[in-house]
Amino acid sequence: MEFPAALFPSFCGAGPPAEERGAAAAAGWGEHGQVLVGACRGPHAAETPFVARRGGAGESWEPAGVAAAPFLPPNAGCWVPSLMPQDILYRGVLRRKLRSGKSGAALDFTKQLGHFFVDHSEDAFGSLGQLLHKNFYLGNAKLRRQARDTTIRMTPLVEEINRLEARHGCPQQHLTSRVRWFSHLCRDWLFEVPLDLLADCVHDELVLQWASLLFDDSSTGGALAWLPPEDAGARTGRLVYPRGPAMNQLYFQDVVLGEVPRARGSPAQFELNGRIRQVAAAQVDGEGFVGVRSDYHCGVWRVRGRTGAAPAPLQVIRTSVPASCLTVSPHLPGELAVCTQSGAVYLWSVETGLQQLRQDPQTMFFRDHSPWRWSDFTAHPRVLSCADRTGLQCLDTRAPGRCHFDFFKVGEEAGCQQGERVVLPLYLGRAHPSQHLVATQFAVYVMDERLPLVPVLKWAHMMQDPPLFAHVVPGGPGRSHKLLLGASHTQELLLLQYTGGSKSACQLAGPPQKLHSISGCLQHLPQQLPHRHQLLQQRLGAPAAGLTAVLHAQGQRESLLVFQLSEAGDVFYQTLRHEAAQPSTADGEHKDEAAPSASPVVEALCGSAPSSPPGSNGEEEEEETFFLSNLEVIVNEEEEEEEEEAGTPAAPEEAQRPEEPCARCCPSPAVPSPAVALRYRRWLKALFRDQQELPQQAAGRAPPTISQKRLFTRQDLGPPAGPGTGTLHAWARQQLRRAMRERGRVRRWHPAPAPPPPPQPVDPAAWPDALSTRLTAAWAGDWSHWWEERLGLNMAQRQRALRERRRRQKRARGHRSLSASFTSSVTYQSELSELSDGPPGPGPPLSPGHPDALPQVLAEVWGGSPHHPPPSAEPLLSSQTLRSRGIPKERRKTLRDYLAVCADGAPETPPEPPGSQPCSQGGQLCIPSSQSQLSGSQPRRKRPRMGF
Amino acid sequence: MPPCRRVGGHVGAARAAAPVAAAVTAARRGGPFPWAMDGFVGRAAPRPAAQAGSALLPALHLPLLPPHLYRPATSHEYKLNFRKSKEACLSYIQDAMLQKQWKRAAEFLTFYIESLEKDFSTEYVGPSEMIWRIGTEILCHHSHSSMKEFNSFIEQMKTLGVKRYLKVCLEHAFHLLCNGRTDEAYQNLSLAESWRFGEQTTAQDKELKLIQAYRGLLDYYSWSKQKNVLLEYERGGFEDLSVEQEMHSSFRKAAVNLKEIIQIPGVWDLFVKCYVDFLKRHGEPKKSLISVLKILHDIVPSHELMIDFNIMLQKSKKRKKRRLGLEVIFAALDYAGWKENVKAWSCLARQVKQIIISEKHPDWIKQEWNSRKDWWPTFHFSRYLAKRNWQENESLAYEKAVVAGILLGKDCKYFKYVSHQGCKDQKKRFRTLKKFVNKHSSVYLRISGLSDSSV
Repeated sequence: MEFPAALFPSFCGAGPPAEERGAAAAAGWGEHGQVLVGACRGPHAAETPFVARRGGAGESWEPAGVAAAPFLPPNAGCWVPSLMPQDILYRGVLRRKLRSGKSGAALDFTKQLGHFFVDHSEDAFGSLGQLLHKNFYLGNAKLRRQARDTTIRMTPLVEEINRLEARHGCPQQHLTSRVRWFSHLCRDWLFEVPLDLLADCVHDELVLQWASLLFDDSSTGGALAWLPPEDAGARTGRLVYPRGPAMNQLYFQDVVLGEVPRARGSPAQFELNGRIRQVAAAQVDGEGFVGVRSDYHCGVWRVRGRTGAAPAPLQVIRTSVPASCLTVSPHLPGELAVCTQSGAVYLWSVETGLQQLRQDPQTMFFRDHSPWRWSDFTAHPRVLSCADRTGLQCLDTRAPGRCHFDFFKVGEEAGCQQGERVVLPLYLGRAHPSQHLVATQFAVYVMDERLPLVPVLKWAHMMQDPPLFAHVVPGGPGRSHKLLLGASHTQELLLLQYTGGSKSACQLAGPPQKLHSISGCLQHLPQQLPHRHQLLQQRLGAPAAGLTAVLHAQGQRESLLVFQLSEAGDVFYQTLRHEAAQPSTADGEHKDEAAPSASPVVEALCGSAPSSPPGSNGEEEEEETFFLSNLEVIVNEEEEEEEEEAGTPAAPEEAQRPEEPCARCCPSPAVPSPAVALRYRRWLKALFRDQQELPQQAAGRAPPTISQKRLFTRQDLGPPAGPGTGTLHAWARQQLRRAMRERGRVRRWHPAPAPPPPPQPVDPAAWPDALSTRLTAAWAGDWSHWWEERLGLNMAQRQRALRERRRRQKRARGHRSLSASFTSSVTYQSELSELSDGPPGPGPPLSPGHPDALPQVLAEVWGGSPHHPPPSAEPLLSSQTLRSRGIPKERRKTLRDYLAVCADGAPETPPEPPGSQPCSQGGQLCIPSSQSQLSGSQPRRKRPRMGF
Repeated sequence: MPPCRRVGGHVGAARAAAPVAAAVTAARRGGPFPWAMDGFVGRAAPRPAAQAGSALLPALHLPLLPPHLYRPATSHEYKLNFRKSKEACLSYIQDAMLQKQWKRAAEFLTFYIESLEKDFSTEYVGPSEMIWRIGTEILCHHSHSSMKEFNSFIEQMKTLGVKRYLKVCLEHAFHLLCNGRTDEAYQNLSLAESWRFGEQTTAQDKELKLIQAYRGLLDYYSWSKQKNVLLEYERGGFEDLSVEQEMHSSFRKAAVNLKEIIQIPGVWDLFVKCYVDFLKRHGEPKKSLISVLKILHDIVPSHELMIDFNIMLQKSKKRKKRRLGLEVIFAALDYAGWKENVKAWSCLARQVKQIIISEKHPDWIKQEWNSRKDWWPTFHFSRYLAKRNWQENESLAYEKAVVAGILLGKDCKYFKYVSHQGCKDQKKRFRTLKKFVNKHSSVYLRISGLSDSSV
């Protein structure tokens, strides 16, 4: 515990912060801070070596990949879209005013209230609605005179309101008297819940939601933790993270480290009673202790150091006020610090229970409304730091009332700005036993317990969103400590390095470095269809929820693995490689491909670097590539799987990419490695599979579809009333069902081009009277038979024949549907085989033995025979028939349309049996007929509804 | 906007050396946009003028720059768009810098400089400060930047804003110092010290104080250097009056400045040390040393000096001081940072042993132990730690075992494990330790309060 011989000079004022400035976007750059005489100083030296607080050379950690890669398969079932500002803000006002920061947000209160009335109308107007529904008339017709006394016509009112909606934002907008009158009349008694009360609740909720959109501190600390292996050399550790649709399942996953980390075995899971907000972990005496915080519960697990040992839950506490902090002691096993939003700080020991250290709803140094509290451990196991938005204090748990000192104050002491607030304190014990990190929305401070109030290091981090997650990776002697800062909504991730603390004063080492965010991998994923792209964008853009990092050394090569958790429950990782001992001049500059002769800045000024291709050639080429790749991926989408299985390293799109950097002067190499590309593809596949499995209503923005189950009930399409219509009805129904099942369109299923009609010089059916039939029979030489029939002698024989025909006719129907609905020969064949497996009929329908039998039968079915009058569609289609079957009015027309199609074209063109047609021809025939054909033959028929 | 006093004079220099600075100049002259400045910088660009407009996009090879950055808009829209594009440009710069793409950042900065032209902002941090900060950072890290370029850039920056004139000067001096150019830094500092600009001078009071202090520091270094020279002369039998005079003036200047800064509250280790060195205040009496260390102990009980303090107090004849010594060493060992410090543990072991052997004041140990007995066993004396300490540092394990044996008795896990291992390895001191603890087991009972009635 040495103390630096000399600290960097700084003023130490007191009182409220004097500096008044906004969040400067560049405040962290360009300053040396202060300088100090270096350690190897001697008065005899010619040059006095000065060192600056900022600007030293840090270690070089270069990202190994172009973007973060998924570490685990996507979190299934997590598709609830998060709240967007547009959802609750009054439109139009958002952009201008918010950006200028001059006014608060205008919340769209009426819209929310409207949503409530529409979505929960029963709750909003239930009883009065039932009482009054006779007095509200919603029809278009005029009211009768008697009714007018007791009934209001609501239609004009609704129209009025709709018109208001349409004129939204119009400056001339004014309420019409009718609406105003109705509102005055009803607002006191119409609502189930008194309107004032309801409005208050909705407004409060809106304000809360808006506040959490602006800044949500519930996930402070992050819900991702790493438990290192017991012995430092082992390569297996454990990752602890939440998962599941509600992020309420706790997972302990064994991870094998390497340049590319691997998950090993299946994770241990625990289902908890609420959304997991924070997961904190510490290693004490070879055992890992994991604290888990949800809003009203905190739990602690113990994980033995050996890999494979099951984590054991130790204790759970419940709080009546949401807990805001849970930290695990790095000194003593089974000790944790808990804070609640009521301002209470507890030391929680698994053995002895809770000890309240402080209970103060007020903030420490000045008044701030935030109920957020934090507590962490310090170098002394019995001293805890307590934080609120205004600063930090240290408490001795042995005498919490008396013994405490101020550790950090938002004020002039630390050189804070006005409006600055503590966002995240972190004990840096692993780097230096007495150092703490205090992060605010503008800057990060490194504090030393031995020198309270005055930061030993300060740096304006310039992050857009306050850092809610931080992780320290201690460097050994002579090495820098790595500090990772993560923001939630913007997913920013910064790597800082600093040195010193014991022998020398703290210094920032090297410039800060931005690491890949999760959403950054979007551009490296294969092109997606627009709706999927949007879905993916939404998923990958989910706010970050946690951060952890592991230093992994393999021989001489060191790599830093950074894991990130998103609020959607996805875990991504990225690897940083340590590039040791490079000449300091080349430090950080090897990325620029500048010509060494000219000063690069000069080049920058001139605008045209020599590396860029002349003219717009490069641009065009690029465009083409992009277009090509786009096209290709869309076509290939279904074959993605095969591609993956074949292990093709990269899509053609990716193969084209390497040209880009030189064309664009964008120095980042743009291609993910084959292994990572494979990971991306797997992840995507799993993601979209998961999305499809979800029930339709859960998928927020899935394209709308009509449920096919409910359109006709069983009754609607039940057995027909009359025996004559039965066959046709059943057949049509079958067709309809098939089309629905295949989600295909209902088509005309007799597409065969009309064969030449058989010459029929005399149509006997045109002469149905007895004399004509007798003459016809006599002409055919079968007069005796006609006479017998006339006398009813061969009735039984006829009946037999009829039955036989019917059976054949059924077969034939199968064929017809076949030829109508299938286009590919493969299905055709399979259907055929299915058919031949059927019950034995009077002979195989395809057998060439009866070449002419079928056409005849079919002709009969469609009314070709004089003995069987056509089972015409008329009785079925007539509205009386439909009504008699209980088919509702609006469906009748649909049904009629469908059935009309069944009847279409059939009489004149009985399809040929499939067996007699070559496959190729059949394929051609099955293409649905064109419109002209249809309208040509049957001009009066209604068109079937397509796209069902 | 300050009047551009020195811009004209710098154009010539900028042409040769400092491109960023040159760009600043151009923008401030209300001249063409930076990308049309080929001729200005002197780079031969055989591009027809007509083509220049259409070739803008590929020539810049900046894929991310949104098109509205180029389009000159009018009236109100102009302001809005300008603001937007300014922000966008800044975010690109930021992005490039955070990825250490200094060249790319420099390119974007040249466009950002345009924002100076229309600096309508009433914000505290105007674009000129941004340009100063970003430009400095880029020049610090850019592999091809030189000191000359840097100086020229900073000179431009100084003229850009009087509000931070002294701050820029100070940072410039820091940069020079870090690069070993002490003389230049000294010149700069003395120049800045004499800068007067009405109210602005008083507003930047803090910077001025620091500038004076650092100049004082440099004066001190030159003084000590001259003194060495003089010492060598004296050794050689020479006498140089001029050197001596110079030395005195350095001393005078330095002393005034250093004394002034020390009187302001703050962390002034650097200056204090030099000042103290001046005044040769060494050789403090021991008594006052102890009183100082006592104060230090109250403020920072984990300070590294606590070991020396403990040793000093142990040697003392006074009972009270020895009592304080025990308190000091116990308090130091409370901290995680001391957990594996052999020296501290041996101090504690020695003193505890002394107390036990002399059989005087075992109640001292009891008092110290009372507040720690509920957490020290798990914090210091767990079986896991015994194993680890034994493997990693045997003498630490020994010292801790002594303390554990006395405080927790012979059944303590730590003591048992370590003494067992030590005896197994045939180590003599562990055997004597075991004997010692067995002999004084009654002390343990008394300390832990198990035999309160017998005392």
